[in-house]
Amino acid sequence: MTALLLAQFAESARFVEAARRAKSADYRLVDAFTPFPVQAVHELLDQRRSHIRVVMFIAGITTAALAYGLEYFSAVIDYPYNSGGRPLDAWPAFMLVPFATGILLAAIAGFATFLIECGLPRLHYALFAVEGFEHASQDQFILALEKPAGDGELQRALDFFRGAGAVAIREVDT
Amino acid sequence: MNKQLRLDQANMRGPPNSEVDRRAALKLFVSGAALALASCGRPAEQIVPYVEIPDGMTPGLPMRFASALPLAGYGRGVIVTSVEGRPIKVDGNPRHPASLGSTDVFAEATVLSLYDPDRSQAPYSGGRVQDWSAFEAALQPRLDKARARHGAGLALLTGRITSPTLIAQIEAFTKALPQVKWYRYEPSEDDAIRNGAILAFNRPATLLPRFADARVVLTLDADPLGAGPEQIRFARDITQARRTHVPDQSLRLYAVEPAWTLTGALADHRLALRPELVRNVAIEIARSLGASVPELKGPPEAEHFAKAAAADLTARQGGGLVLAGPRQPPEVHALCHWINNELSAPVDFIAPVDPLNIGGIASLKSFVADARAGAIETLMILGANPVYDAPGDLAIADCVAAVPFSAQLGLYRDETAARCTWHLPLTHVLEGWSDIRAFDGTASIVQPLIRPLYDSRTAHQIMALLSNATGPSSFDMVRGYWQQAGKHGGDFEDWWRQTLQDGVVADSAAAKISLPAPQMPEVAPVSGGENFTLAFAPDPSLFDGSFANNAWLQECPKPFTKQVWGNALHLAESDAQSLGVVDGDMVRLVAGKAVLEAPVLVRQGQASHTVATTLGYGRAGAGSLGTAVGFDVYRLRPSDSPWALADVSVSKIGGRQNLLLTQHFFELEGEAKDLQPRFALADLAKKPDLGLSKPGGNPATLYPPHDYDTYEWAMVIDTAACIGCNACVVACQAENNVPIVGPDEIAVGRDMHWLRIDDYVIGGKPGFSPVPCMHCEHAPCEPVCPVAASIHDSEGLNLQVYNRCVGTRFCQSNCPYKVRRFNFYGYADGEEYKSFGDDIVKAVFNPDVTVRGRGVMEKCTYCVQRISRARRAAEKDHRKIHDGEIVTACQAACPTRAIAFGDLSDANSRINALRAEPQAYALLGELGTRPRTTYLARLENPNPDFGKAQS
Amino acid sequence: MSLAAIRTEPTPPEAVRWTLPGARSLDAVNELVTAPLYERQLWSWKAWWLAAALSGALTAGFLVAVYVVFTRGIGVWGVNTSTVWGFAIADYVWWIGIGNAGTLISSMLLLMRQKWRASTNRFAEAMTLFAATIAGIFPIIHLGRPMYFYWLTPYPNTMTVWPQWRSALIWDFWAILSYILFSLIFWYVGLIPDLATMRDRARSKFAATAYGAFALGWRGSARHWQAYETLHLALACLGVPLVVSLHSVVGMDFAASLMPGWQETIFPPYFVVGAMYSGFAMVVCLAAMVRWGFRQEGLITIAHFDVMAKVMLMASIVMGLSYATEWFNAWYGGDRPDRSLVIFEFTGSYAPMFWALLFCNVIAPQAFWIAAVRRSVVAVFVVSILINIGMWLERILIVWNTLSHGYLPSMWRLFIPTVWDWLTTIGSLGLFVLMFLVFVRFIPAISMHEVRKLVDEEGS
Repeated sequence: MTALLLAQFAESARFVEAARRAKSADYRLVDAFTPFPVQAVHELLDQRRSHIRVVMFIAGITTAALAYGLEYFSAVIDYPYNSGGRPLDAWPAFMLVPFATGILLAAIAGFATFLIECGLPRLHYALFAVEGFEHASQDQFILALEKPAGDGELQRALDFFRGAGAVAIREVDT
Repeated sequence: MNKQLRLDQANMRGPPNSEVDRRAALKLFVSGAALALASCGRPAEQIVPYVEIPDGMTPGLPMRFASALPLAGYGRGVIVTSVEGRPIKVDGNPRHPASLGSTDVFAEATVLSLYDPDRSQAPYSGGRVQDWSAFEAALQPRLDKARARHGAGLALLTGRITSPTLIAQIEAFTKALPQVKWYRYEPSEDDAIRNGAILAFNRPATLLPRFADARVVLTLDADPLGAGPEQIRFARDITQARRTHVPDQSLRLYAVEPAWTLTGALADHRLALRPELVRNVAIEIARSLGASVPELKGPPEAEHFAKAAAADLTARQGGGLVLAGPRQPPEVHALCHWINNELSAPVDFIAPVDPLNIGGIASLKSFVADARAGAIETLMILGANPVYDAPGDLAIADCVAAVPFSAQLGLYRDETAARCTWHLPLTHVLEGWSDIRAFDGTASIVQPLIRPLYDSRTAHQIMALLSNATGPSSFDMVRGYWQQAGKHGGDFEDWWRQTLQDGVVADSAAAKISLPAPQMPEVAPVSGGENFTLAFAPDPSLFDGSFANNAWLQECPKPFTKQVWGNALHLAESDAQSLGVVDGDMVRLVAGKAVLEAPVLVRQGQASHTVATTLGYGRAGAGSLGTAVGFDVYRLRPSDSPWALADVSVSKIGGRQNLLLTQHFFELEGEAKDLQPRFALADLAKKPDLGLSKPGGNPATLYPPHDYDTYEWAMVIDTAACIGCNACVVACQAENNVPIVGPDEIAVGRDMHWLRIDDYVIGGKPGFSPVPCMHCEHAPCEPVCPVAASIHDSEGLNLQVYNRCVGTRFCQSNCPYKVRRFNFYGYADGEEYKSFGDDIVKAVFNPDVTVRGRGVMEKCTYCVQRISRARRAAEKDHRKIHDGEIVTACQAACPTRAIAFGDLSDANSRINALRAEPQAYALLGELGTRPRTTYLARLENPNPDFGKAQS
Repeated sequence: MSLAAIRTEPTPPEAVRWTLPGARSLDAVNELVTAPLYERQLWSWKAWWLAAALSGALTAGFLVAVYVVFTRGIGVWGVNTSTVWGFAIADYVWWIGIGNAGTLISSMLLLMRQKWRASTNRFAEAMTLFAATIAGIFPIIHLGRPMYFYWLTPYPNTMTVWPQWRSALIWDFWAILSYILFSLIFWYVGLIPDLATMRDRARSKFAATAYGAFALGWRGSARHWQAYETLHLALACLGVPLVVSLHSVVGMDFAASLMPGWQETIFPPYFVVGAMYSGFAMVVCLAAMVRWGFRQEGLITIAHFDVMAKVMLMASIVMGLSYATEWFNAWYGGDRPDRSLVIFEFTGSYAPMFWALLFCNVIAPQAFWIAAVRRSVVAVFVVSILINIGMWLERILIVWNTLSHGYLPSMWRLFIPTVWDWLTTIGSLGLFVLMFLVFVRFIPAISMHEVRKLVDEEGS
């Protein structure tokens, strides 16, 4: 596939600054790997909007509706009986089960969508092999950009990021 | 269930044989049942069912036979229900004067005694089981010897006997052998009454009050409503006479008594007096009637009470009646006869039904004398247990032991059996033929419901054996007797069948006798001594102790104290304070040489200087359930005054005993007033609205109305008629397979009675409210059940589906009436208390009612099995169920007809009429539960002038 | 000092910081949190083993008690004809109350942007998970026929009957089930980035594989973080209403009844606050433990205890008000049974426990008005213990008073606990501690990525 440059930074401030300047210098920013979410950089990368919320909403509402449906069917249609003189469709008493189950299913659906959108679980990933990449989950910030074509371009890029305070820059082919 | 668990259970509770696993248990039960059933065949002789024609019984269809059960020697007519040859339920016989269709606790519990695993099953002598031939062989030479001497050295010792056949047998025997001695006594003795009549009329006579015609009744230390052979009849008569709402027409009851009795609880005016002083009231009454007796001096409340009562009695010419109890001496009884004569009271006299012309105590004394003198060589004790229940000062045990050859015929190998050389198993009253007279002389034939479970004999057979008349069965003897004595005008067969069907021998009641004017006895007022007086009384649950091994009765809460599995010394509040004792504290009671250490129960409204207690406890040989429960007071009982022991000293000793009560852990009068409203007849007449929450008068609700399109079952309980006798409680237990839990569980606060009787004390006066399930239309227990085990049926019954119940107990938590009962253990299903779990006991189960297992909730069902039986019958001939066709077990048992059951949807039903009564109310109706069980408030008829006389 | 002095020396309010200087670098955070798991030799685990042994023994006791209850039946408890409920229900309410705090801290504080949650939410959520699980056990063992507990679920069955949806116990069943599973998801999602860190710091292949497997291949890419934050926030938004509804339902177990002392509209909110109250108290205890055990003074600072003490102070006042409201309504409503019940609470057989309850829940926490107390870990710890005891007393008394003292005096009966009652209660505590000990030994007890963010924002 494409060849990448990984610029590795030790401080979030420099990382953000470098990303900004790289963007304005028309470098093709591919991705960023950080030990915690860095909003400023995420904005520089054009990302698809996440559908998690929508999915959760739909799942929750549907489940709640189904739950109430089950209550209504069992208590009014399938097996009606007089319980303490209460109405068969005791809707105030029937509210809670749909509520609780709705939230539960929303959460489950949300988690599933999260995994799908992140492409997880995926235990093998090329970059894991890259030396120093393990710092991305700990204390360093890695900016991934398309490796510029041509040696001249590449050299300029390397200089650019060194100047920006990268502690290490690596070329990888994925 | 694994083995370990069963071992745990076995170690914890229940008999060792509860270690077997379920399969084995089933096997055992089947074989056990088979054994039982093998003997459970109908008796060889033809017995006659009450309603159905006798030819062949339909399996599964219960058959009902009329019979009679003895209490203190007198009969109460009953109808016994038998399923596949197993008697399982006792009801009253409407045609019998001592039953009128109702029962008492003892009658209800008789079926359980039949299947008591501790019953003696074979002759026993020399420390081992023998067979009858061995006994006959041992007896024969002694009989021959005695015959040679016209019976000298041969003696019979019996309880009260009213069986015409048996009496005839004994008389024939003693006629043949004039030297034979017949001693007879009764633990619940009434010598004073008998001697009082002799004192007054110079001849023995029995007084029968006509409560129906009475307007004012004064009981002097008498308890016509208390346990005894007349209880059912008197309770019915008295409450019936109080039913009217017209104050002057209604019977007004005055009671003078040392300790609380059921009569005192019902009375409109009650005075607590120690036994000795009661006579003073009688004297005061006599004085007001012109007798030349000294005026009563104090105590003031007694004077005032006596004056008011006297005025009221004399005001009702022909309507006043005075009754004295067995605790009062003969002269007081004689005085009462004189008073009644002056008042021309509504009383009849008959010749004593108990024919022996000698008092029981006198008879026992002569026995003691003869035994000591060695005049008795061969002693036959028929169905009595004198070693336990004879007055202690006679030291009967030694006398019996002194006799060289003594044989006891009894249901249990009890205290007396231990002192006799032979014990012989007695045939249970439900197993053998006999006959018996009621307190008014009416005779009944005792029919067996089942072939004897064990190789036992009836008293008739023993008498036949003694008179060498081998061969005739009890049936032949009884039938033979009536063939001669019965008024059958030739056609005996029809007469016999009719008599058996009716359960009473037509016009066999004793004839009224006319007596001379009673003489005024010599009697003077007395003043009580410093020391205490110990007042004995028959126990409301165990009576004289012969029922001690009956689990239903042991666990039947006593009317006032709600004590079970034991007795206590009842002390007046004032005495308790001066002694510094509270409930459960141990005291030492000293009377001469006799000493008793026992726990006290403090009783509000008991006469001071009186210690009250009941007979029947402290058994040494009752059986696995009844032995060593409570303490024995027979040994303190003086033969000269069997019901009161004077000059007793009481002192506090260290230590406490945990009294087993099912109620009264708290007392709150304020609460009681709302929960058990009471009104005077006068008020009832004045204001129509008594401010009660009426049946059907429900608070508003958001719920849509539920339309019941069929029967709507409901119950009304008249607390004015409830005397607290507990018959309904035991009846419910018998009908619905309600298990007992045993003392250990009671101590934890658990019990299983579906129907309880709440006892509220208001203004010092106790009152009873039976509380079954209310079958609320808006039942709080139903919506809280997560698995729909508690649901409502189309006829308005609040049902508990046992096999659906998972045991959350939310229903009971949310029940305002707390009428639900939970099986914390398998009380009826593998974890029974002691021998209550033996296989034979399972024979008493009602096959129409599920036996509940561990971990499920249960409760009153309005006897749904009876409802469905009636429904089936009705549907068979395409009709609706008639009003009054369904009778619940509690309703059937109630001697005072306080419980009514019926259909609300039938506008003309009696139940609707009762719910419309002004004093009708719904318990906690303000909660909006819409109970189907409602109440009629307690009505009293106090003397309007009573207060005035005071001021 | 003089008034003038005060006027002349205004103390400048310093910005609150939730970490100590020693912990203010990304690597320091990682080091602090992972060292206990990776550099065990540096730590003395005596205390851990001791605690594990003790709680293990209690857990065994719990299992024995449950076995006995299952085999002999609930008759081994002190429950009786009137007081049909006992410790099991009280324990259930108590545990579920504690189970609330984790989610409250994570989600509610997250929504309120309370930065200090970062270093507490991980073990708070773990606590929630364990407490809720234990709470879920009690309603089952308290059944008369526990083997049929599944009849509460709707499934096609030969009896053709369904659960009775009007019963508060059914609401309970679903609320607890949903809550436990929800908490699990919420907790696990927050854990994934830290598992990745553990993976990347692993010393051994095994650790790397194990943590790696659970990390699901997390690489902290922009996409991951965006999805993560979206989901986490959404879950937080759902968590708050769920937790509130859960304990409202527990309150309704009682409020939806007819009994005096239970049938009160105030119950749901008052149960929710009570839950948060006891939950926070438990979090404080655990925080103190983690802080002491793993020397996390750098991340769990005095300031944390100070702020949590403030929360409990507020809660204690609300509880006091709730109690007072109950009493007032009983008097103002004028119903005989209600008034009689309140009198019984204050003077009846259980009165000593009731007064103890009032002291623990209302009086003792007032000490938090004093800053010095709030800032003393020991003091806050002790008061928290008191609060937990007080809250348990409150629950058991809610059950006992009403059932022992209902509408009909004839059926008033007391509850006398048996050894099995105590063993089930104490034993469940042991089980909880054991689960927590295992948790802190294998899983980072503090959320690293959130603290990293915090540190990064606060700057060094």
